[in-house]
Amino acid sequence: MPQILSTKEANLFRQVIRDYEEKRYRAGLKAAEQILKRNPKHGDTMSMKALIMNAQGKTEEAFNLAKEALKVDFKSHICWHVYGILYRTNKNFEEAIKAYKFALKLEPESQQIQRDLAILQVQTRDYEGYVQSRFAMLKARPQLRQNWTALAIAYHLEGNLQEAERILTTYEKSVSAAPARTDFENSEALLYKNSIIAEQGETERALEHLEQECKKCLDRLAVMELRARYLAELGRKEEAATAYRALIDRNPDHPDYYKRLVEVLGLTAEDEAAQKAIFDEYSTKYPRSDAARRLPLDFLTGNEFRSAAKAYLALMFNKGVPSTFANLKHLYFDSYKKDTLPSLAEEYLQELKDSNTQASSDSSKGEGAALFFLAQHYNYYMSRDLSKALEYVEKAIELDPKSVDFQMTKARIFKHQGDIAKAAKAMDQARLLDTKDRYINTKAAKYQLRNNENEKALNTLGLFTRAETVGGPLGDLIDMQAMWFLTEDGEAWQRRGNVALALKRYHTVFNIFDIWQEDQFDFHSFSLRKGQIRAYMDMIRWEDKLREHPFYFRAALDAVNLYLSMYDKPEGANRANGTKGDNANGEDAAEKKKAAKKAKKEAQKAEREAAERAAKQNPNKAQKDKEEDVKKKDDDPNGVKLAETKDPLGDAMKFLEPLLQFSPKNIEGQIAGFEVYIRRKKYVLAAKCLKAAQALDQDYPKVQEQSATMRKMIGDVIESLPPKVQEVLKAELA
Amino acid sequence: MDIRLLRPSDIPLIQHANLENLPENYFLKYYLYHALSWPQLSFVAVDVSRPPKTPYDYPKIVGYVLAKMEEEPTDGVQHGHITSLSVMRTHRRLGIAEKLMRQSQQAMVETFNARYVSLHVRVSNQAAIHLYRNTLKFETEKTEPKYYADGEDAFCMKLDLDFIREQIKEAEGAEEDEDSSKKKSSKKKTANGSSSAAETEEQDEGEPVGDVGRDPEAAAAGKGDKKIKVKVGRGLGVGELVEKDESKH
Repeated sequence: MPQILSTKEANLFRQVIRDYEEKRYRAGLKAAEQILKRNPKHGDTMSMKALIMNAQGKTEEAFNLAKEALKVDFKSHICWHVYGILYRTNKNFEEAIKAYKFALKLEPESQQIQRDLAILQVQTRDYEGYVQSRFAMLKARPQLRQNWTALAIAYHLEGNLQEAERILTTYEKSVSAAPARTDFENSEALLYKNSIIAEQGETERALEHLEQECKKCLDRLAVMELRARYLAELGRKEEAATAYRALIDRNPDHPDYYKRLVEVLGLTAEDEAAQKAIFDEYSTKYPRSDAARRLPLDFLTGNEFRSAAKAYLALMFNKGVPSTFANLKHLYFDSYKKDTLPSLAEEYLQELKDSNTQASSDSSKGEGAALFFLAQHYNYYMSRDLSKALEYVEKAIELDPKSVDFQMTKARIFKHQGDIAKAAKAMDQARLLDTKDRYINTKAAKYQLRNNENEKALNTLGLFTRAETVGGPLGDLIDMQAMWFLTEDGEAWQRRGNVALALKRYHTVFNIFDIWQEDQFDFHSFSLRKGQIRAYMDMIRWEDKLREHPFYFRAALDAVNLYLSMYDKPEGANRANGTKGDNANGEDAAEKKKAAKKAKKEAQKAEREAAERAAKQNPNKAQKDKEEDVKKKDDDPNGVKLAETKDPLGDAMKFLEPLLQFSPKNIEGQIAGFEVYIRRKKYVLAAKCLKAAQALDQDYPKVQEQSATMRKMIGDVIESLPPKVQEVLKAELA
Repeated sequence: MDIRLLRPSDIPLIQHANLENLPENYFLKYYLYHALSWPQLSFVAVDVSRPPKTPYDYPKIVGYVLAKMEEEPTDGVQHGHITSLSVMRTHRRLGIAEKLMRQSQQAMVETFNARYVSLHVRVSNQAAIHLYRNTLKFETEKTEPKYYADGEDAFCMKLDLDFIREQIKEAEGAEEDEDSSKKKSSKKKTANGSSSAAETEEQDEGEPVGDVGRDPEAAAAGKGDKKIKVKVGRGLGVGELVEKDESKH
């Protein structure tokens, strides 16, 4: 039987809860212990104590106490709820859901438990469960509009669009007074409903709804864009053209509006002149619009292209726009345009010389800009001639030795020449020309990393990271989720043979993706309160494929390849890497050994320094700052434990699975998958990867090598495999 | 280059651009908070000229403005605030920053009825100060000493947005004139039957618009005559363990 608290203690118990809510953990613990002194078996208090301990980072003790609490008071919904929260905060969502359901069974009327359960269901994408929960919540509180909207969202996510729409309509009908024009929640709910109608493919009805119900919606841009889109889809071309023209007036730098306008006007690619006239109209109307001037270069051909490009380049050079080349290089797929653009730049230079005009005082404009363009042209992979590139960039630098842009391009040319060390030095020189600019600082650090100068790079970056962050520049870059740095730093460590630090960085990237996935959690309730439903739905769709991001792909592929090399060459924690072709050759064994030894020393040094830093840290200060956020200490800051793994292939799986799931069309992922599976003797899965890679690019060199490996392997082992597997394999490889 | 509204899927590369360019950096969640609270206000400039390397490429962000509404304005006046604005140094001189700012300012007025927009800028950042003061017509309100982590002072700048309000009114007036009289009369009818908020909109200046500072009871109030106070749970805490059902009061 649960113990009953006296009035005084019951008050104290409420105090414990307040303390927890307001993150006064020490006070909360003290109060909880006071209750427990007289009621040592009061389950609810024990649970609260566990919850506070969990917040303080004492996970294991918290779980033990919460279990004990359940033993003494199995029928307390508070104990079950706390148990669920513990699992929730430790990311075991499945167990958390179970615990919440138990709690809810004991206390079916509890809004809080129901809400916690619902949030977890949508977080784990249990849409069926989410619909049930939101239905129950709506029944309990039908007076709240957000409960209706939430149920509609649940149906929408489940794929039941009609039901979603019906729920929204039911609410609308239940309101007698028309909502105020400034009612933001109403405005967004209407647009949300409109998006659901459109998603059902009913464009006609969506347009009607938009024009009747959403005219006064506060998101003007959305109304205008949707209307234009619907009109175009319905073939009401004249009205659609007017709508797109209104959008261009609003934002003349959004190429899509022009594209749509041209479409609804029925102009084809052959109507070059007619198309050009439209853009001319807008470049006159909006002289500052880049899109109106530049987009015709995409479709114009021959002499028309030439004269338009000439005018555009002159304008850009006169203004000294540094991105001119970057904004035009996509045209290089057309060889005529690829040849014309540099000759126009030369022409520009010649005309400048002939006219004998006074050189601009700003050397980034005029001559400097044209030289800069040509340097970039010859540095680009589709038109590369590095000695010419260097020639032009030197001329530009002569004109303005203090230009960061010019110097930066010089460094890039060195990189393409293959001289990474020289490139890194040149980029650092560019940095020194403007030490207050973080962009060039970042580039300099990146080049230092490419040159395997991890420590130097960190010092460079340290000029801009927050000085007070615990852990120095590295700590700040990790806190701020600097993916680019973590990946580049890891790759540099890997090249230097420091497996431990390389793995550490890749795992840090992995963990940040976990954080990004977790980040949506609060928005399941927050967005309902804010009423911004369409943005919330966008977020959900994006989170669903979060790990397809190239940030994930690159670091994960690095990790998988590193684990593969560890499996192939198990020679202790620090080994020279052999994963990448460009590195495996060249170095002889002695050099490798030396590198490994050096890397080991460096790792030890880094560890020592980290320990010293930790010792120097004032223990009182951190506590005073933020009592609540007792961050769990990293017990493997240098990845030594990661590198000691006995099962590199097993560890690789953690990185590999999302690669294959979210980026199946990236051939590198399939190739890595094959290598892992074949070593793990998972022949069917290996065959699947191989097949996928073949479908993507039959001629990819690695694919042919792998298919030879596969045939040989299968030949060797097929008889020993179960008949079912043999069958599947034969089918896969047929 | 393409100027358009920010999407949640842009955020990793916005965060990346911010880290590359500026010393003031934020967690991804802080960007999400902007994107999900005021999705109409933040814009990006995208480099559309890059040929994709994989089927999973995300558009490269070369500039962005991250904007918000002040949640609890100390002066009680609805206004927007620029959290962060940045353009890659490789993409300067195309007026990207200005274009991003103008799009955001427009939406601040339209969607959230903002009266003005404020921002902070480093006192040493000449280029940015020039943009705000000369191009966009911001005024310096005051200097905030040691605003930045490295000890630098900030100028607090402000731009009155009434001129956008005027433009909108003018445009609406023109539209209304074009409308047929039939449409007009029917419109009046609905307005008469509804609450007076739509009619008196111009007078109730400074009143909170949208969600900002708004109580969830508002929705309930529209339905029944009795106001019901509901406590909305905060995040995930034990607050939710105790049933504070205030609706029973």
